[in-house]
Amino acid sequence: MTVFQFSSPAWMVCPVILPLIAGLLCFLFSHRTFAIALAAALTNLLVVCLLTGQLLVFGPMRCHMGGWQPPLGITLRTDGPALLMLLMTAVTGLAITLYARGYFSYRISDPRRAGRHQRQQRYFWPLWMLLLAGLNGLFLSNDVFNVYVTLELIGISAASLAALSGKPASLLASFRYLLVSLLGSLTYLFGIVFLYRSNGVLDLGLLQNLAANGLGIRTALVLMSVGLLLKTALFPLHFWLPPAHANALAPVSAILSALVVKGSFYMLFRFWFEIFPSTITQPTLNFMGTLGAVAVLWGAVQAIRQHRLKLMVAYSTVSQLGYLFIAFPLARVDGGIPVWSIVIFIALAHACAKSAMFMAAGTVFLHLGHDRIKDLSGVRASLPITVFAYGIAGVSLMGLPPSGGFVGKWLLLTASLGSSQWWWALVVITGSLLASIYVFRVMSRLFVIPEGFSLKKSEPHFRLLEWPALALALISLFLGLAASWPLHILVHGTTTLAQVFVGGLP
Amino acid sequence: MSRTGKSHKRLDGFQRLLLLLVICMVMLLGYIIWSTPGSKPVLTDAVAQMQEYSGVESPVTAVLLNFRGYDTLLEVMVLLLAVIGTWSLTEAFFPVQGSEISPVQMGAVRLLAPVMCLVAAYLVWQGSHLAGGAFQGGAILGAAGVLVLVTELPGLRTIPVLSLRIGLVLGPLLFTGTALFCLFITGDLLGYPKGAGGWMILLVETGCAVSIGLTLALLFAGGRPDKESIWKNNP
Repeated sequence: MTVFQFSSPAWMVCPVILPLIAGLLCFLFSHRTFAIALAAALTNLLVVCLLTGQLLVFGPMRCHMGGWQPPLGITLRTDGPALLMLLMTAVTGLAITLYARGYFSYRISDPRRAGRHQRQQRYFWPLWMLLLAGLNGLFLSNDVFNVYVTLELIGISAASLAALSGKPASLLASFRYLLVSLLGSLTYLFGIVFLYRSNGVLDLGLLQNLAANGLGIRTALVLMSVGLLLKTALFPLHFWLPPAHANALAPVSAILSALVVKGSFYMLFRFWFEIFPSTITQPTLNFMGTLGAVAVLWGAVQAIRQHRLKLMVAYSTVSQLGYLFIAFPLARVDGGIPVWSIVIFIALAHACAKSAMFMAAGTVFLHLGHDRIKDLSGVRASLPITVFAYGIAGVSLMGLPPSGGFVGKWLLLTASLGSSQWWWALVVITGSLLASIYVFRVMSRLFVIPEGFSLKKSEPHFRLLEWPALALALISLFLGLAASWPLHILVHGTTTLAQVFVGGLP
Repeated sequence: MSRTGKSHKRLDGFQRLLLLLVICMVMLLGYIIWSTPGSKPVLTDAVAQMQEYSGVESPVTAVLLNFRGYDTLLEVMVLLLAVIGTWSLTEAFFPVQGSEISPVQMGAVRLLAPVMCLVAAYLVWQGSHLAGGAFQGGAILGAAGVLVLVTELPGLRTIPVLSLRIGLVLGPLLFTGTALFCLFITGDLLGYPKGAGGWMILLVETGCAVSIGLTLALLFAGGRPDKESIWKNNP
């Protein structure tokens, strides 16, 4: 059959449909939910690898849902940025799936509250699978309204996941998260109304060709950007992020920080630089860059001030998201590096490093029963792999070579100095220094062995808790060495972008 | 929100500023809508042209279940997510049967519930050529469910949880299954085979109506069934 051929664009639906079915089955059955989820995550990774192969052979592809061409039907498409985001989601998602298994089985092994933890696990799998489907759908989608539907899928499942721990603090934080997320979705929807009214089509490809610099389009872009920024938690709209991410269960924190915020950012970036580049002016780009710079510094300072490990990691997310926006004003530099590669690199490195860090923080929390930074001493002796993973993830967040974070920040520095906008470089360097302070502040505690410390016997479930975090941390570390590989995918996948950004790759 | 009861209706300075901003915002947006010219109805023409190939006569159903069926597939998942999210948070509160149900109420339920189910079925069927469909039918079914819930029939407590789960998943699973079936037959996700569009859409709509109705009723119940005995037997 033609569907199963390598060249068939129908493979594109698998990253959405497979987790969707897995989510339904996980909700229906009470046993073997982990097996279903793991199978879906593995198959998802395989299919995304296949799609990458397709992209390298055939270039960007389109898949028309139901065989209906736009403007009538919905189109999915693969290109370089979309595939790299899919790869990021698939790899991080697989590691998080394994970690979540270890996390829940460790907690269930404690007989005191086994019932509650079993229930958490019971609902974690369907919610996580549907969230994965939503994310994949968002990265593949080529239709403004379809993006809205995937944003809804992501927002509602993410808020439910954040509330899963059931503690009052997390309920409050996730309720606020839900409201913010809904407000963001509705603002985005309002933007679609303007877009549809002035253009009459919803397909991104058609909008890209039609795009005129009209008042309707500008209003639509403002509304959609505000909605997406709310979901991406750019300073000063970040207020909901630290409590929601820090109070969630550890695998959920990793999902929210590594993947969910990237989804809305990815869409925002597409709108600004691919669909409506002619509407964007340099002052608006500078404004976004300034917000990003403030986010970098403010988030880092707040991270330094925190007393709890998970809150510190959550504020570090606010800070790291700022770097993505510093790339905005550097986008129009002639002969510079295409801005996609900068942004994608930072996003990839951050996804791996941050999920590894949240996993490590979660393992430490399980081990000690708390995550107060000043009482973390002695953890190195009992959890060496976790501490190692935390350290490597910290290397990537600080931006030391050869990590992926280093390459991202290096590209930012080169672009800002190359275009003689040195102030952005200054922010990047200061942000990295502040990051090293908050990473080392915890690191130094972890390595102190207090006097009279005796090693407890290691618990049996720790293998699945420790190794996924280390694997992700190592990926983020070696991403810098394999930098040419993601860039290769980007070049293959961005034929449309080549017209917008004339410039070579490093 | 003010904390004291005294200043209940007074707005403080910040809220007034906010109100002013919102009013300005609404006026600005209204002005923009009023001043931008609308475009030609590209999509309306396209739908009218392709209507005969969609398998149904109602343009709304054609858009929802055929042309943009993928959106609806994800939208149905969002509805299911709402139930999963609610179930993960709390248990439903079923009051222990205290007093007997009054005969008037019982009579009303006996009279209304079957009629509502009939109307729901009719709406789903009518969706192929007039206004109607899974969401409308599901809403009526949901209302019937709410009616039964507020009557606090004693039988409600004994409904097995698994059957509720099956009912909830039925529509989404049927929809996904149909989509995949079409993928294998025609090579397009939700690309209905020629001539089979009509009954496949009706099948999907029927399944979805049941699930949507159950979803709404269970959201009204406000939590998971209190004796989710699946785990207690098998830890």
